[in-house]
Amino acid sequence: MIYFVRRFAVFLLTLWAAITLNFIIPRLQPGDPAERIVRRLNPNSRTVDPNQVEAVRKMLGLPDTNIFEQYLQYLQTLVRGEFGVSYSYFPFTVTHMIGQTLPWTLVLGAVTLFIGFVVGTLLGAWAAWRRNGPFDSVTTLGATFLGTLPSFWIALLLLYVCAFKWGWFPVGGGYSGDAQPGWNWAFISSAFEHSVLPAVSILLFAPIGWILGMRNNMVTILGDDYTRLAKAKGLSERRIALWYGARVAVLPNVAGLALAVGGILGGSVVIEQIFSYPGMGRLLFEALRDGDYPLMQTVFLFIIIGVLLADLVADFLYGVLDPRVRRGG
Amino acid sequence: MSLLAVDQLDVTYLTRKRPPVQAVRGVSLTIGPGEFVGLVGESGSGKSTLGNATIRLLSRPGEITGGTVSFNGQDITALGEDRLRPMRWRDISTVFQSSMNSLNPVMPIEAQFRDAIQAHSRASNGQVRKRVAELLTMVDIDPSFMRFYPHELSGGMKQRVALALALALEPKFVLLDEPTTGLDVVVQRAILERLRVIQREQEFAVLLISHDLGSVLEFSDRVLVMYAGEIVEEQAAADMLRHPRHPYSRGLLGSYASPTAKTIAITYIPGRPPDLSKPHQGCLFAPRCVDAIPLCRMKAPELLPLGDGLVACHVAKMRAEAGQLPEQQGRSWRTQAAGAVFTKHTVAKDPTGAEDILRFEGVSKLYTRRRGFKTTLVQAVDDVSFVLSKGHVTALVGQSGSGKSTIAKLVTGIERPDSGEISFGDLRVDRLGRRGLRDFRKHIQMVFQDPYSALNPAHTVLSTLMRPLINHKGMSRGQAQSRALELLETVGLTPPERFGQRHPHQLSGGQRQRIVIARALAPEPAIIIADEPISSLDVSIRAEILELLDGLVREQGIAMLYITHDLLSARLLADDIIVLNEGKVVEAGRAEDVIANPQHAYTQLLLRSIPNPFVEETAAD
Repeated sequence: MIYFVRRFAVFLLTLWAAITLNFIIPRLQPGDPAERIVRRLNPNSRTVDPNQVEAVRKMLGLPDTNIFEQYLQYLQTLVRGEFGVSYSYFPFTVTHMIGQTLPWTLVLGAVTLFIGFVVGTLLGAWAAWRRNGPFDSVTTLGATFLGTLPSFWIALLLLYVCAFKWGWFPVGGGYSGDAQPGWNWAFISSAFEHSVLPAVSILLFAPIGWILGMRNNMVTILGDDYTRLAKAKGLSERRIALWYGARVAVLPNVAGLALAVGGILGGSVVIEQIFSYPGMGRLLFEALRDGDYPLMQTVFLFIIIGVLLADLVADFLYGVLDPRVRRGG
Repeated sequence: MSLLAVDQLDVTYLTRKRPPVQAVRGVSLTIGPGEFVGLVGESGSGKSTLGNATIRLLSRPGEITGGTVSFNGQDITALGEDRLRPMRWRDISTVFQSSMNSLNPVMPIEAQFRDAIQAHSRASNGQVRKRVAELLTMVDIDPSFMRFYPHELSGGMKQRVALALALALEPKFVLLDEPTTGLDVVVQRAILERLRVIQREQEFAVLLISHDLGSVLEFSDRVLVMYAGEIVEEQAAADMLRHPRHPYSRGLLGSYASPTAKTIAITYIPGRPPDLSKPHQGCLFAPRCVDAIPLCRMKAPELLPLGDGLVACHVAKMRAEAGQLPEQQGRSWRTQAAGAVFTKHTVAKDPTGAEDILRFEGVSKLYTRRRGFKTTLVQAVDDVSFVLSKGHVTALVGQSGSGKSTIAKLVTGIERPDSGEISFGDLRVDRLGRRGLRDFRKHIQMVFQDPYSALNPAHTVLSTLMRPLINHKGMSRGQAQSRALELLETVGLTPPERFGQRHPHQLSGGQRQRIVIARALAPEPAIIIADEPISSLDVSIRAEILELLDGLVREQGIAMLYITHDLLSARLLADDIIVLNEGKVVEAGRAEDVIANPQHAYTQLLLRSIPNPFVEETAAD
């Protein structure tokens, strides 16, 4: 119990530190954002009209109070969930933009991560159980070889062959224009169709880490004394493989999974960009390109919170799965 | 009919990279129902391999390449795992070497009993729980511990749990592979005694594998001695004790002695076991044997009946044929024992004249252990005083957890005392700053328990030895090199040029410990702390290291703090003994006085726990 309370306290502390850093870093950047926007609006003008700057300042609601008050305001807006207006998608709010893209990323990311984890862990466990056999060699070598290929290249290849050449799947986007977003069949099937290629490109690489991690952990554990003792006990192969081998070997993978869940929020920048998929990764990329600070800051904040939450879940899970951590002296 | 019969068994380790190693060669043995048999040998003698082969638990690349193993009349040499599985644990169970790791870390104790019991019976969970409670009680563990996870138990408790687990299905045969190695003597003895009682009650057969002939002789009915993959002698324990016939058995027995005797002589066997991947001729023990005759180097002796036992030795056979009965040899074999002798007489030098090097006065150290929100205070060292003086060895004796290691840390300045004074000449060690400590540490060196992990595997012996010379003594590389070679000679590794170029993995355990000692000598320290320097070494070479340490201390006038749980070696090496229990000194004095006339109950307990096959003999003296 104390273990869990301590983990939670650590989580709150890191979260506060991250939020505060997120507040400080943009303010360390030189220059005035309002002035920058004015300059971008009139690229040919050499001088900046102070009235224009003041107008933009008002429009964006840029603060003129001191830094401590700003910090307090910042915390209040965070609690209320107000993240301001996006520069590049003006007049849409940041919240609106994230609300638009988050579901796409969440669904694609969660589904591929989960499938990749399950498939990878199972393949790894089976390879370890039949180690040095043909299955092991093929899996391990195959995974290692695939891992050396650049994923964006495979994605481009898939896009070219399956979408352009054969036309099996749409070239990009999240759904076709004639479908109305909502819980209707036309939209869901269209969204599914659009997600196949990005999902396949992710899934080709997703299991590699899990396979290799699981296999190596389990090979070590199968050589340990307690696994040999399980054999001496006359337990069935299944029980030895699952309860003595896989049960212990999966622990680092589970921790890795929880951390990867946190990473979903950031989306897969490269894959989403290649398939023009309307997710968080592409949003982040555009925010970076356009210097859209409020949007960038908020996406980062989401990623930070996601990773920290996942970290917390990983710690809790570890505590449940591994008694050594929970009651360790 | 015998329960377990092994006939002409060969076990070979086949690896692609290196030539095959014949770890077990032509071994035959039988174990009757309810019999308690001991199997003894040095590390690398093939005893664990043989044990695992008898229960068909060899792991790759080890394979049975010849001979048969039968259990209860059934040949199980090539029996498939599916046919073997029902026999496992029900008929044949085992306790592993280092049971520390033989319990599944993520399953509670009860579940580890349950899966074994339910794999072989239809017992309900309730019945299992009742049985587990019974079994734990049998090994003196409270049944409530069944809900615990392995890491929540101490080493000794885990070992007891492993033993209870092995007996869960009342097997006919239990293989015990070094079941108590790594535990301290008191716990070791308690577990073996309990085992013997249970074994007599339940009448299962046991094969006890150990490197410790002393405890094997005490507990077994019959003893097998194994050397280089072969059985060299087999006798009833009582006969073996009275007249061991094979020079190797005699050598092993020579490492035991009664610590209370006036003059203690323990022997060791010089040399090291042969490389079994190379071809060989004649008796494999001949190169290390003091009795070897030309015939021994030409023809391998067979294991033949001699007296009531079996012996594989030309010399023993010839002596027997010449009518030299072991009875006539009497106990004289111990004085003309095989191998070199390290003798320690009661008459030690007068310590009063010696110069004091380090004073430890009224030192206490309290540790705060935090567990969640609870903090507990542990009095690791409680008002301890002693003096280390030049050319003298002071032994710190106690069980694990008695505060020995904390004292070592205090002496080296790694930890600071809460109260009391530690002075090195005029220097107050307990008040030294960072820089002062660094200067102080060239005067104090450590010899650790495990020579395998105390040496950097990537460095040659020479560079290991040159490092402290360059760092502490400011020598040039050339000077350091010639000094390092001298050091090798001092610790008896000759020719030094050859040993200097080697890496640690090319050396035996004893040789590595010699390197560790040479390294400790390099900065010419005033104090050496030797923390269990022999407890991880084979019995046959322990005396050799003790002798080396003894000589160095006397010749070079070093003050030594010898930390151990073994009173016999303390008696052999030390001038003074300090017995420590729960951070307190319970008894201290001249070594022979403490041993001959122990006042405190704890000292008596430690003394009783020393494996000593000669106990009865000493009593008769």
